[in-house]
Amino acid sequence: MGITKKIFIILGIGILIAGIIGAMLFFKPHRDVQNTDTDFSYQASEIVNEYLTDANKANNKYLDEEGNSKVLEIIGTIAEISEDFNHQKVILLKSATDKAGVSCTFPQDTDSHTVNIKTGDKITVKGVIRSGATFDEDLDMYENVILEKCDIISK
Amino acid sequence: MKKSFLTIIAAVAISLTAFAQKQISSNTHMKFFSTTPAEDIEANNYKAVSTLDTSTGDIVFSVPMQSFEFEKALMQEHFNSKNFLNTKANPKAKLTGKVTNLDNVKFNTDGTYTAVVEGDLTINGVSKPIKENVTFNVEGGKISLSSKFNVTLADYEVAFKKGKPSTNIAKTVEISVEANY
Repeated sequence: MGITKKIFIILGIGILIAGIIGAMLFFKPHRDVQNTDTDFSYQASEIVNEYLTDANKANNKYLDEEGNSKVLEIIGTIAEISEDFNHQKVILLKSATDKAGVSCTFPQDTDSHTVNIKTGDKITVKGVIRSGATFDEDLDMYENVILEKCDIISK
Repeated sequence: MKKSFLTIIAAVAISLTAFAQKQISSNTHMKFFSTTPAEDIEANNYKAVSTLDTSTGDIVFSVPMQSFEFEKALMQEHFNSKNFLNTKANPKAKLTGKVTNLDNVKFNTDGTYTAVVEGDLTINGVSKPIKENVTFNVEGGKISLSSKFNVTLADYEVAFKKGKPSTNIAKTVEISVEANY
């Protein structure tokens, strides 16, 4: 085999590998939150109060620079059940004495797990944190901790 | 006697609630749309909270930036990263504005109204004045809002210096907003 032929083969394999890596990155699937290990488990009040005490510190602890933020398990009492603009079920876990709660959004694939629950039930929800609780002066109200990609793990 | 007093209190409390002029919505949709010859990129966010004071025309949107969902995971990571929207440092975007032609918008009468909202938009920790048209629709006492406007990313110090995202993301992106109060 000639030296030129060898170079071409090696070069060809190199380009192919680079192409495959590029395509894998480009078509990389979204993180499956429910199959990701839980980072922290809390009562709804605990995470809310941690945020209301020092939001910057909490953001540093829970939010990820590329949006793959911490996966939390939250135990709480259902204060409200609603639906968002995308017809996703939204369950608010909030203790009556707290200023804010944890708002949990359920995608279509876990929606069937939410059919038999009602206000007042105590449940554990797993999901990814998107933003924390805070008092917003412009809204003039407290904002909840937001979890998405949720599922109920115990009730 | 005591019972009737409580009834009056309850009636007053209920009527006050009914006349409350501050409307709150967490039933919202924001869409980010960018188009270049290379590709179209779209992201959706359903987690913004908005308030609307129908007596003063004050309007506020608070948007959790990490709730923008892209079709491709890699794009979502780029969007959140330090080079782009830096959502770890600036987890929320905000709009605070005021309807400037409040006389033309009858929030208590069914109909469709075009309003002008003037205020400040804060993205990536950078605030800029904005003035945009907003459509209010009032139906059976329920108010809904929709608007579409353009945002030039460089105005908010959002810019890719190099690499693929700098050529595949438009310099000016279109933002659509919908909210049901």
